Amino acid sequence: MSSTQSDSLEEFIPASQTELSRFMTDNAATSQKQIFPVGGRTSLSVCCASSLSGIQVCTSQLNRVIDYPVRDMTITVEAGMRIDHLNEIVSAEGQRLPVDVPQSNRATLGGIIATNTSGPKRFSYGTIRDYVIGTSAVDGTGNLFKSGGRVVKNVAGYDLKKMLVGSLGSLAIISQVSLNLRPKPETLSMVWFTFDSYQKIDRALEALTTSGTRPTAIEYCNSKAARQIAAESRFELPCENDVICISYEGSNNEVHWQTNKIIEEWKEFSPLSAQIVDSDHATRLYNAFVEYQTSSDDPVTLKAVVLPSQMLKFVEAATELNIAVQAHAADGIVFGHLPDSASSLEDVKHILNRLKKEPSLQTGYLTIYQCESEWAEALPLFCSSPPGWSIMREMKNAFDPHQLLNSRRFAELVET
Amino acid sequence: MVEQTSQTITQKTPLLAELKKGSSDFSSLVQQLTETVGKEGVLYDAQELLVYECDGYIVDKNAPDIVVFPTSTEQVSKIVKLCNQYNVPFLARGAGTSLSGGCLPIGGGVMIVLTRMKQILEINLRDRYAIVEPGMVNLHLTNALKGTGYHYAPDPSSQGACTIGGNIATNSGGPHTLKYGVTTNHVLGLEAVLPDGSIIELGGPTAEVPGYDLHGLYVGNEGTFGICTKAIVRLTRDPESHRTMLAVFQTIADATRAISEMIAAGIIPSALEMMDQGIIEAVEEAFHFGFPLDAGAVLLIEVDGLEIALDEEVRQILDICNACNVREIQRADTPEERLLIWKSRKQAFGAIGRLSPSYCTQDGVVPRTRLPEILEFIEETSKRYGLKIVNVFHAGDGNVHPILLFDERDQEQIQKVLEASEEILEKCLELGGSVTGEHGIGVEKINFMSRIFNQTDLDAMESVRNIFNPRQICSRDKVLPPIQSDEKSTVKQSHPARHAPH
Ligand SMILES: Cc1cc2nc3c(=O)[nH]c(=O)nc-3n(C[C@H](O)[C@H](O)[C@H](O)COP(=O)(O)OP(=O)(O)OC[C@H]3O[C@@H](n4cnc5c(N)ncnc54)[C@H](O)[C@@H]3O)c2cc1C
Ligand SMILES: Cc1cc2nc3c(=O)[nH]c(=O)nc-3n(C[C@H](O)[C@H](O)[C@H](O)COP(=O)(O)OP(=O)(O)OC[C@H]3O[C@@H](n4cnc5c(N)ncnc54)[C@H](O)[C@@H]3O)c2cc1C
Repeated sequence: MSSTQSDSLEEFIPASQTELSRFMTDNAATSQKQIFPVGGRTSLSVCCASSLSGIQVCTSQLNRVIDYPVRDMTITVEAGMRIDHLNEIVSAEGQRLPVDVPQSNRATLGGIIATNTSGPKRFSYGTIRDYVIGTSAVDGTGNLFKSGGRVVKNVAGYDLKKMLVGSLGSLAIISQVSLNLRPKPETLSMVWFTFDSYQKIDRALEALTTSGTRPTAIEYCNSKAARQIAAESRFELPCENDVICISYEGSNNEVHWQTNKIIEEWKEFSPLSAQIVDSDHATRLYNAFVEYQTSSDDPVTLKAVVLPSQMLKFVEAATELNIAVQAHAADGIVFGHLPDSASSLEDVKHILNRLKKEPSLQTGYLTIYQCESEWAEALPLFCSSPPGWSIMREMKNAFDPHQLLNSRRFAELVET
Repeated sequence: MVEQTSQTITQKTPLLAELKKGSSDFSSLVQQLTETVGKEGVLYDAQELLVYECDGYIVDKNAPDIVVFPTSTEQVSKIVKLCNQYNVPFLARGAGTSLSGGCLPIGGGVMIVLTRMKQILEINLRDRYAIVEPGMVNLHLTNALKGTGYHYAPDPSSQGACTIGGNIATNSGGPHTLKYGVTTNHVLGLEAVLPDGSIIELGGPTAEVPGYDLHGLYVGNEGTFGICTKAIVRLTRDPESHRTMLAVFQTIADATRAISEMIAAGIIPSALEMMDQGIIEAVEEAFHFGFPLDAGAVLLIEVDGLEIALDEEVRQILDICNACNVREIQRADTPEERLLIWKSRKQAFGAIGRLSPSYCTQDGVVPRTRLPEILEFIEETSKRYGLKIVNVFHAGDGNVHPILLFDERDQEQIQKVLEASEEILEKCLELGGSVTGEHGIGVEKINFMSRIFNQTDLDAMESVRNIFNPRQICSRDKVLPPIQSDEKSTVKQSHPARHAPH
């Protein structure tokens, strides 16, 4: 993926944030080359045209732990640290960053903040924005600025770190991050339900709003996606119908109680099957859900964010278009992998146009975040202007006045 | 950014007009405001304006020239446009409980009070959000949700008075934020009238919107990015059950060790509040809860979650407290007993009046494990200055609220309180913390900004403020120090803040 770009790109690998800052200052003052921040390069194909030239600034050497006061449950690390490495360090202390990251062996902290990556457990734990308590970053003219700090509670000054969340490397290169951590739960268990009608699923999901249990994640997948997820997890699961898979985390006791309780509660919605997947198996199945949202073998992956109550309507429309669908059901976040039969740009546009008209999208957004690189230029990342677009533009101009940082990607955010 | 900021340095804050009573501008502005919101929605009589000359921070005072009470976003937008037309400053006010002077109308002008915009516009349990107007009192939202199985999690101690708009502007926290997070973790989106009068939406009811996290950036702007006119807030499931305990320790060191051990063991209580001996004495004298007067510290510990999990969690907490030499633990077995325990905490401040005619509360933060050091430093400072200082605070997130007791009539004591406060906050910074955990910078802490942040950090903040509020016409001279380094603040602190209870 990244090879198509790196052919025409130089690379700079700063060894410290000061070096990064100096490099950016020089670049802005002299050659003003285009800058492409990269972390784990797991998603550089996203809406970046192939004909780019400039410099990739790679954070691979910004990967140190600055400070880990274990008992404070906070950690400060450089932004190029890979997520698995971070997890290893904090896991040894019984802690974790409760954010799901696909390809976590490659993805970096800076990358997941820039893309606002999240997964199934955002339902109960929120997203990376809820755990970042401080950042340092270098803007397009080389200014190294920080925001927040290293304590979990702090309201000194404007919350500039929030603005970097989802900024796609178009405002500044994130160089250092302080995080709030959480305790690692004792165990994980999942219940895989299958249903034969959207109506039953809808009622069951509605009932979850007052369930006696407290799920950590509620995943929906249609049978096409279910087959792939089950295969990936190497676990025998029924996949002929739509699936709702509910996860519970906590002590053995509470997890066991909840899995049984939900099966009891949902009897009235007549699921075709209900299967408990516990402990080791559950971790594998869970990871399959996390990875599936960005699995990149398909020509286009899209993401829709709708109100949770509208999720099934959107899913129904997508399934009719033969799209493999996974959704974080209670958050209304839907991932769709277009079928191989969508083999031309025209096919893809046709499918997108049908989906864009979906009434369930009226309160929501459709974005494309993975596609064949030769189509990238023709497909905008966001299919409509996000609220506050004019302010976003001004922020871009303030932090990157020469339009050097991932500018192409930023300009192509919105369909014109 | 560099270029931009240096421009603002030379231009500095553009001069805004002073509204002269009796001038033709004054009368025609009053007339147009009256046309906008009606006669009963405009105040300009000097006597009536006195109420609005300060908020919970009473050190500095300045009455606005006019106060308006809009009832709709359109009215707010019109008011703001009029202020632009007349080139006069304006600012928002909710309930006025700010403890850092956020509502101080520097330069006078128009104060826009949002308390008549207090409707709940929508409650959507399936999609877990509520849409409310900014003047809604925090507790009223909680009350409206009673029985639904949901609540709005941020619960500042002022929740009976403060407004959701004020909470958003200050990113409020409260006793339950250790587990549930502060306001920013619960705001999905908002509508705001920008300082030029335009209406904008940021974020929305969906789980996320594409692009930069602008509503996240807006939360905590302390009223300087325009006026919030609508808020979309996340609703949280009520916990099935809870357990409340009061742990009595011989020394502060034992109590703070217990806090640190709990967090380290992976227990996140829903509340973890600490009271030291000084407070215990006052509370005991006032309310007779039966606290031992010789105890060094008392911890109020609450855990919540599924009934099936709680006993195990309580057992772990008891083990930790025992290992930290706890003297005794009182457990609330009935709702009445729970209420009583919470009452002791909530009325702690009320009891302070018995100790001293005046008091000043600080709002420092340290990493949780440095609590013993900061408390020791506070004690030492208290001795060094010969000032009584007592402590009651949200211990779980390292947010200390030392309360310095003094006599307002004694100028020497006043000076000592100012100096001691400054030293304590400096120490918080030295220990890796912050000078404000929940009250904000406002005008009170503006001189600290350049000690926490370097000029580049401040420039970055300045350029963001310039996007929203380029002329500083909205809530001027707050949060960021004036750029010229030798000119510290437009407000000079000459008196300790007589901060209110928590
Ligand atoms: C728009 C978008 C949305 C995505 N959403 C999701 C999602 O919701 N869920 C999910 O599971 N996965 C998502 N992904 C995919 C993937 O999980 C993340 O992109 C990945 O975790 C990023 O890590 P990385 O280190 O591989 O980044 P890279 O692939 O190297 O870079 C990804 C983007 O981040 C920028 N970037 C990288 N490092 C920095 C830095 N230090 N400072 C500033 N910018 C930087 C890059 O310029 C580029 O724009 C998304 C990807 C994109 C592009
Ligand atoms: C007894 C007491 C206990 C307290 N306990 C806590 C606590 O536990 N945690 C905590 O965080 N704080 C606490 N505070 C501080 C204060 O209550 C909070 O900061 C609160 O959020 C302020 O709300 P308000 O409606 O009173 O706002 P105001 O005091 O009216 O205004 C505060 C700031 O917000 C701005 N503002 C108000 N409304 C809007 C709006 N609609 N749009 C834009 N800007 C606006 C104002 O301009 C000002 O800068 C306490 C205060 C008191 C007096």
